[in-house]
Amino acid sequence: MGAIPFRRTDQPVSQPSLWSLSKKLLRSVYRSYIFRVTVQGILTLWVVTTCTFYMIRKMPNNPIEVKIDEFQTKQNLTYEEARSKVAGLFDYDPDAPFIEQYTDYMGNLVQGDLGRSITTGRTPVSQQIAKYLPWTLFAVGLGLLISFVIGMIAGAAMAYWRGTVFDNVMTAFASISYGIPDFVIAFMILLIGGIQLELFQVGDYIGSVDPEIKAGFNPEYIRSLLQHVLLPVTTYVLASVGGWMLTMKSSTISTLGEDYITVAHARGLSQRRILFGYVGRNAMLPLMTRLAISVGFVLSGSIIIEYIFIYPGLGKYLFEMTGKRDYTTIQGIFLVTSAAVVISNILADLLYGVLDPRVRVGSK
Amino acid sequence: MGFLIVVATIPGLVIGLLCGLVPLGVGLRHQQLKWGIVGLVLCALAGFSFSLIGGFIMLVFTTAVVISYAFVDREDPFTSRASIEAVNFEESQLEFLMRQMAALGRTIRQSVRALIRNKAGFLGFIGILFFVGISVFGPLFVEYDGDTHVERLQPGARTLFQKPSSEFILGLDWKGRDIFSHMVHGGQNLIITSIEAGLIATLVAVVVGAMAAMIGGVVDQILSAIANFILTIPQFPLLLVLASILSFSNRFYLALLFAALSWPALMRAVRAQVLSLRERDYVQAAVALDLGLPHIIIREVLPNLMSYIVVNMIFSIRSAMYYIVGLVFLGLVPLEEPDWGVMIYVGRQQGAIFNSDGASMILSPVIAIALFQLSLILFTRSLEEVFNPRLRSGL
Repeated sequence: MGAIPFRRTDQPVSQPSLWSLSKKLLRSVYRSYIFRVTVQGILTLWVVTTCTFYMIRKMPNNPIEVKIDEFQTKQNLTYEEARSKVAGLFDYDPDAPFIEQYTDYMGNLVQGDLGRSITTGRTPVSQQIAKYLPWTLFAVGLGLLISFVIGMIAGAAMAYWRGTVFDNVMTAFASISYGIPDFVIAFMILLIGGIQLELFQVGDYIGSVDPEIKAGFNPEYIRSLLQHVLLPVTTYVLASVGGWMLTMKSSTISTLGEDYITVAHARGLSQRRILFGYVGRNAMLPLMTRLAISVGFVLSGSIIIEYIFIYPGLGKYLFEMTGKRDYTTIQGIFLVTSAAVVISNILADLLYGVLDPRVRVGSK
Repeated sequence: MGFLIVVATIPGLVIGLLCGLVPLGVGLRHQQLKWGIVGLVLCALAGFSFSLIGGFIMLVFTTAVVISYAFVDREDPFTSRASIEAVNFEESQLEFLMRQMAALGRTIRQSVRALIRNKAGFLGFIGILFFVGISVFGPLFVEYDGDTHVERLQPGARTLFQKPSSEFILGLDWKGRDIFSHMVHGGQNLIITSIEAGLIATLVAVVVGAMAAMIGGVVDQILSAIANFILTIPQFPLLLVLASILSFSNRFYLALLFAALSWPALMRAVRAQVLSLRERDYVQAAVALDLGLPHIIIREVLPNLMSYIVVNMIFSIRSAMYYIVGLVFLGLVPLEEPDWGVMIYVGRQQGAIFNSDGASMILSPVIAIALFQLSLILFTRSLEEVFNPRLRSGL
């Protein structure tokens, strides 16, 4: 075939061109935003894991000691008896060298294995997290969503009717909501609503779902689920809606002053189109980034709120496991929550580019 | 307990009164008796609550204000109608001091006016003063009730908890102790620790942020990387684990720990601000004149950042209080009575949540904390006006 001599003569030229092509590709990969951010994220997670690994193991008392204490006080065993009993229960050797523990853990982690929980019968940590995470996601996510939507609408309305009685009342409410810490709201709901005014039976609303109701997609279960999530979600909404309202108000006010809004009025566009297409869209931009960032902190939830309402979420679980010194579980929860923060930060950056065409044009 | 314990003392009152003689004397000398007496009262109060430090600072401030009312700028020698030989160009040391004091006094008067002008901010200021006043002066009037009082058990009641009554205006806690006395005695530690934590965090953030922005290069990259790294880890879980590792006997270490975890957010903001200020003409001019880094940071950049920093310091104090109460409430900090956080923790442990008689034990500190935090937030509005040179000069 005629192609063979052609190829043979061309070879010394095509070789470097292929090389330079791949070099070019590599360079563009290296320069690309996604690549850099991913490497940065992985590095951050590695440092987080290493630091927490070191820190956690420096805590006074290890899981064995805590359990021995518990046995000694609860079952009146001597130290030796308790020790042998615990050694049979736990799959953890506190005397193993630190480096060895670290390399073991990292080796498993690279393969996607978070290890096994020390104190809760050797269940895999990933399984434990999968068990508690949905609760937190449900409560905090729902709270975040509701407060975000209410905050956006109310904030925009406050900016539109600024200076009126409506605006003043709402701003006062938003300042109070923003100023008061969430656990204060939680206690007020419980103590004033539940105990003093007896609006509801506290016992029915705290804790997890009734154990008697079978889990599944049936109306009773869903009703019970919603009933128990009501108080935490109300707390989250009341505590965070003020911040969203104030941010949205100031963002909308600054958008209303822009030249293109005046131009849109001058062009005789309908009020509705200006509000939704011009003001709303632009005022929302800075809030979307904040939303994406706060989604990252959804996972860590609110330890205090979950603790007050005895809600079976990840935050309360982390608190319990810290008390028991369950190293692998604490480690796993930290890794997952930090990863969520890293990922949501990246997403926030990307999202901004998608939502705001000006950023996209500017970066090119 | 923090490094600073503030309780009103009688020697402090004497010191304050002695300090107050200075503005009074100056006021008498310059026919400003009204302001002299105001100065005396303020000095006495400041000395009473913060002894020598408070008394001395108040002495300087009030004297400056009195002088600013009395002081009239001497005639400008260059516009003087008298013959040029007759004008004295030299300024005596006393005149120089008076001029400086008058300038300071005018600044203080403008600040106070700005503070009062914003109603919401002033309300916050009054709220803060109220809580600080109660913590400082309250212990003089209300005795701490730390013993168990079984004899206060009401007939028919199963617990010592008691609803608010005319004898005990906030009711009794689980040991039959007066909740009001705990409220008066228990706020100080928390407030001081929060202020310490907020101050340290702000200081670190401002120093590191300004350094990163002004030096730039590798230093900037490393400092920013550390800040970003700390921001990645969810704060409260980390604080929770660290607090149970270190299990502090001293609250001051808790403040330090809070500062170590919370400086990055403000540091990034300060860095961004300084980066943008650095490009302004007046800073460029200072750089061109080679005035040195300390001068540029302190004289050119900081005054423009001041309102931003002060407002963030208040926010920092607020979140420090949130975290500290949270840690106490979870039982991770050694419990020291009396303390508002400990009241919440113990109240919950002792079933005050389910007992309508005991609700006051949790509600009192919770409402106090809420009001204090609300006051802080409101106060920031005034602070913005006080520290923003453009807003202030418009008065």
